[in-house]
Amino acid sequence: MRKTTRSAFAAACAALAVTAAACGTTSENTGQAQPQDPRQSCGGPDGKYTIGMSQANLAEPYRVRMDADIRKAAEQVPQFEDVQFSDAGKDNAKQVSDVESFLTKQVDLLMISPNEAAPLTDVVRKAYNSGTPVVLLDRKVNGDAYTTYIGVDNVDIGRQAGEYFKDVLFPDGGKILEIRGLSGSTPAGERHDGFMQGIEGSKIEIIGQGDGDWERSLGQEKMDALLKAHPDAQAVYSHNDPMAEGAYLAAEAAGRAQQLKFVGIDGLPIEAGGIRSVEQGRLQATFLNPTGGEEAVEAAKKILVDCRPTEKKQTLPTELITKENAGEVYARLNQG
Amino acid sequence: MSEQTHEREASPSAPEPPRGPSRREVAETLFRFQSFFGLVAVFLAAIVLSPRGDDGQILFLTSDNLFNIVRAVSEIGIIAVGLTFVILIGGIDLSVGSVLGLAAVGSAVLLVNDDFGVLLAALLVLLIGLIFGVLQGAAVALLGVQAFIVTLAGLNIARGLARMWSGGETVQISYGDGEGQAPMLFSLLGERTFGGVVPIPALIFAVVAVAAILFLRYSAYSRHLYAIGGNEKAARLSGVPVNRVKIVAFALSGFCAALAGIVHAGQLNAGSPNDGLAYELDGIAAVVVGGTSLAGGRGSVVGTIAGALLLGILNNILSLNSVDTDMQLLIKGLVIVAAAALQRLRPTA
Repeated sequence: MRKTTRSAFAAACAALAVTAAACGTTSENTGQAQPQDPRQSCGGPDGKYTIGMSQANLAEPYRVRMDADIRKAAEQVPQFEDVQFSDAGKDNAKQVSDVESFLTKQVDLLMISPNEAAPLTDVVRKAYNSGTPVVLLDRKVNGDAYTTYIGVDNVDIGRQAGEYFKDVLFPDGGKILEIRGLSGSTPAGERHDGFMQGIEGSKIEIIGQGDGDWERSLGQEKMDALLKAHPDAQAVYSHNDPMAEGAYLAAEAAGRAQQLKFVGIDGLPIEAGGIRSVEQGRLQATFLNPTGGEEAVEAAKKILVDCRPTEKKQTLPTELITKENAGEVYARLNQG
Repeated sequence: MSEQTHEREASPSAPEPPRGPSRREVAETLFRFQSFFGLVAVFLAAIVLSPRGDDGQILFLTSDNLFNIVRAVSEIGIIAVGLTFVILIGGIDLSVGSVLGLAAVGSAVLLVNDDFGVLLAALLVLLIGLIFGVLQGAAVALLGVQAFIVTLAGLNIARGLARMWSGGETVQISYGDGEGQAPMLFSLLGERTFGGVVPIPALIFAVVAVAAILFLRYSAYSRHLYAIGGNEKAARLSGVPVNRVKIVAFALSGFCAALAGIVHAGQLNAGSPNDGLAYELDGIAAVVVGGTSLAGGRGSVVGTIAGALLLGILNNILSLNSVDTDMQLLIKGLVIVAAAALQRLRPTA
């Protein structure tokens, strides 16, 4: 038996040796972006185009809406015959395969909202270097091997949220709780940093924090504990609306929902989204985080149909949503 | 890939009377190669169903696409090979996805934060997988706890360790000679050789597959595996070192999962504590589609490899045809049920 175990080990080591010895490899892991000639991929207004959209996951309502926005906007462009969607289910490896399938299918343009930056960088670079224009949405990759990036400035959203607390909710200072997004995801860090900039110079104090991982249920769970530890809390700043809703549920169960103010981010214009929560009075305010779906289709049209260059980076505007404008914003975002 | 399976039944090897193949034996052979026939059928179907490119070529058959499939399958394939050993003894290993995550995170942390060399880091990570497997095997064999429970606990423990080791965050791997950079050697895992065509992970999968096939074919260990899977009590009574065999099976499974984790980190240039989530289920699916019985005692590594490739081709052709994810899940589920149902029709027990 000892002998057999050893031979298994040897076999596996041999596997590694093969790897180490493999020479003449091409580099997907390393290598530079080759700047694309925008005219190369452009077929003009007479062409018919296929677009592949690789979504990181469809577990978040925000991403379902992003796909829907793209689908709807693409219907307005007669040249965009075929828009195909894939769902990576939060799995980086699956998303790499999804993109490879799109390349095999020879899509004319790739849209992608990467699950994580580093693992998707290589395959996005491969697409870009092979001449396929790449539109990045919401989340980035490393380096500059893409055609255009469309997304919000999360530091700016955080700062505006901080200023709203400082100027509107607690001009004389207050004690608040922060429910954060998944630790390590860039928007969570940026929405926190921006918020700290926004409340600078005020007497607002963050007395408790919890990681809600962007999820409603975890937001509720963390708030349960935070409420017990900090009975003097006056408000909640949550990195997204679902966690703010969860926090509200926890406060409601503790009989304290009416004494606390809740502020979220995302302002998704769907029935279960943050704008409705503001309208119905559970959230005090939310900040619009547009999905960029419409803008992505516009960029694709520029590249493929109009033969015009796009900006490398397009920052989407955010907007404060309170009870006063919630109805109007909801209607505006759902028109057309 | 060799067409032969080297499957052995649990029953004591009574000398067979010399005669030509009976109908029953023909049927038995057909069923034995079920996964292989399935693989061929799915491959042919994929050719027929493949979309055509601009110049009329069959996109499924482009070498780029075929190698993409093998690359995508490689991690699940390596895991499934290890799982086959455990399932052959009638056990199960639910921890492999988490061990993959632990190994991916471990590789990234050791290379990037701790400045280890590639070989040392890889050996350490493989050792961790091996020890993890040994401990699980020992709990199953010596404490007599059900494998399902032990490895369910292992699933949570490995995931917890992965989160602790990485601080809950993705560890990015950048390459170079400086501090905090991984040696260029590790980046080979994400690359392709033989003129930029064959992905390195596919080569590693092939090596693991061949090693496992040879190991099962030529070692006494293999007879013991099938014997325990067929009838543990009888195996014990006939002098099979049951506990040792069990521990080795789990050790091999842990080892393979760790190897898959190293491949994962190298391919994706990052180790995330969420890597390999639910991969254990994909691995089990490959084993089952490959014709190995979850009850143990019957099946083969060749079948598992065919099963993994079959599911990979299925994924690929569904993606190429833009079948949406919901429908893909449904179809994959039906294929797994069909494969298991076919096994039930097999003539011998």
